[in-house]
Amino acid sequence: MRNLNFGYGISRPRAVDLDTNDLRKGLDIIAEMPELQACIGCGSCTASCTAGNITDFNFRKLHTAVRRGEYKGVYEALGKCMLCGKCRLVCPRGINTRAVVMLIKRKLGDF
Amino acid sequence: MTFFAPFTIPFIVGCLLLLLCIVCKWLLWIVRMPRVDRRLIRHNFFTRHTLLAAWEVVRESLLHVRIFRHNPMLGFMHMSLAFGWFLLIVVGWIETTAYLGWEMVPPQGHVFFKYFVPINGITAHKPLFDHLMDALLLFVLTGVALAWFKRLRSRALGMRRTTKHVLFDRVALSALWFIFPARLVAEVLTAAMYGGGGFLTGSLGVWVANVVPHDIVEVLYEPSWWFYSSALGLFFVAMPFSRYMHIFTEIPLIFMRRWGLHPSHERKSYDNFEVEACSRCGICIDPCQLQADLGMHDTQSVYFLRDRRYNMLSLKVANNCLMCGRCETVCPVGINLGTLRLNSRAMRRNIPHEGRYKYLRGVDMSSGDGTVGYFAGCMTALTPGVQRAMEQIFGAVGEDVWYADRDGGVCCGRPLMLSGETDAARKMVVYNTDLFRRHNITTLVTSCPICLRVFRDNYRLDGIEVLHHTEYIDRLIAEGRLNIKAAAERYTYHDPCELGRGCGIYDAPRRVIDAVGELREPRHSRRDALCCGASLANTVIDDAQQQRIARRMTAELEATECSTIITACPLCNKTIARAAQLPTCDISEIVAKNIVSNTP
Repeated sequence: MRNLNFGYGISRPRAVDLDTNDLRKGLDIIAEMPELQACIGCGSCTASCTAGNITDFNFRKLHTAVRRGEYKGVYEALGKCMLCGKCRLVCPRGINTRAVVMLIKRKLGDF
Repeated sequence: MTFFAPFTIPFIVGCLLLLLCIVCKWLLWIVRMPRVDRRLIRHNFFTRHTLLAAWEVVRESLLHVRIFRHNPMLGFMHMSLAFGWFLLIVVGWIETTAYLGWEMVPPQGHVFFKYFVPINGITAHKPLFDHLMDALLLFVLTGVALAWFKRLRSRALGMRRTTKHVLFDRVALSALWFIFPARLVAEVLTAAMYGGGGFLTGSLGVWVANVVPHDIVEVLYEPSWWFYSSALGLFFVAMPFSRYMHIFTEIPLIFMRRWGLHPSHERKSYDNFEVEACSRCGICIDPCQLQADLGMHDTQSVYFLRDRRYNMLSLKVANNCLMCGRCETVCPVGINLGTLRLNSRAMRRNIPHEGRYKYLRGVDMSSGDGTVGYFAGCMTALTPGVQRAMEQIFGAVGEDVWYADRDGGVCCGRPLMLSGETDAARKMVVYNTDLFRRHNITTLVTSCPICLRVFRDNYRLDGIEVLHHTEYIDRLIAEGRLNIKAAAERYTYHDPCELGRGCGIYDAPRRVIDAVGELREPRHSRRDALCCGASLANTVIDDAQQQRIARRMTAELEATECSTIITACPLCNKTIARAAQLPTCDISEIVAKNIVSNTP
């Protein structure tokens, strides 16, 4: 019975769990680039992404995770970015995405 | 003969310290050079490059020809100070020799010769030298006067903004401004006391002797020489630590540049020569659009080099540059401002693990088959009109084309390089080179000037001819393979930074536009063209600031009363289209629109 799968499942709750999530770095990053808060999560950055076309690299997911205080694997994943800058051109909120990538890499470099 | 007086001590001490500092700096920089650079110096030392360099030193370090071309008044100011002072020293030395024969005279004997003439009881006068030295002093004094005038009205000397100096520069500058008036006063008082002097010091001396009581002249006489010597001494001490170090750095820089040394993406000792050769003249400030359009006054090349020299360069200043290259084209010293900025960025880059681009292995999304390869570039993926137009043109001439990235590809690596991550960019260089080689192409056409620049500068594509699509289309038209009809439309053309100043391609796009319509040049064009503001090199300015730059430059394009704005870079295209009222399109799009079908 345990192996039966009808294609439905229960998503884990996505609330920020302050017992496991450490918001300090994320807040630090937002303080340096406040414009990141203007993100509406449309996903244009990910849709146009050169690296995302080849791998499962997902910029929206990564910077959202950082803002939520979840840093595991983010630094390694951001290494896949080629900084080509298409995401910045398509961003409807005009967020300086390349600077965000570089900032997160710098801040999480020693994480 | 005596050539010593207590007042000469500041001058002698200053001279010795200056000599010590310069020798130490030069030796240290040369010793720290990588072996390759030192070998270049050895190899090219006894070649004609050395003679050419010597001639360039005369033209640039003394006469300042490049500044003359920028603005004659400004050139005259720099020349009168440099060349005038040089002649004062040389002619002063000849004067001493003419008086005393080949006698060994210490430096202060030459510099303060007028003081030592009466002391040593030399009575014979050589009016020719008196007049000549006075003329030279007047020449230098006009330079000083112009420098003062420049403080008040810099626009008269062709500069909207001048450099804001740090304290040390101000000290050295004040000392420099006092040197020549002090010399004039000292020599005039000497002439008032003992007679002699040329048309300037002599006549002023007679006038002073008549107007001022003799005992007052006698009291002022010695202090005036003290003041002159102290101003010289102070200037010499401040020199190696201030912007005036450029005097003794530009000369070896010119020689080394001729011997083939140049800065690279990694910092190295040679950079010191380039950094300290900057005289902070401030000519690079006016062309900077960050200054003109955004009112930023701390990030121009002059301030970048200053901050880097005094080890106070912030990441923000290093990153806050469009790398449009407008400052580099006007720099009278010819410093490689872009490369220095890049290797400063590289110094502070984040260095992630080696294997992060492993996913590139085995990726091949190319399609088609042919000896001509087309690399659209990332940015062209966002302007599909360009891609379609190029396909149409390829179709019209019946070219077999291999499309490198029609269905997605890998970045050329230039954006990473612009952020200082040269080692990461290297992975892309290797990947793409391998891809091009595997598909046996002989010509590579790209629509993106950013890609073109890196293909030409950093890729080793021997046997593959790399062309921008403007060059390719220009060639097709010239060979008669592509027939296009001219329409009665007025176009204006925006020179993309990477295509124009970056790769030196100005004429091919203009020829193509001439073939389809009438070309109208904007106020700033070719080498002087403005940047659209969206440059990938700048990660500091935000969207609103980018738009402000774009609006200013677009307004200039629209002022030509054209009907369509044309550019040849997908990034410029998107930026201008956002700011412009008029339709904006790529050069390939208007060509594709005007193709005359060959088939009857």
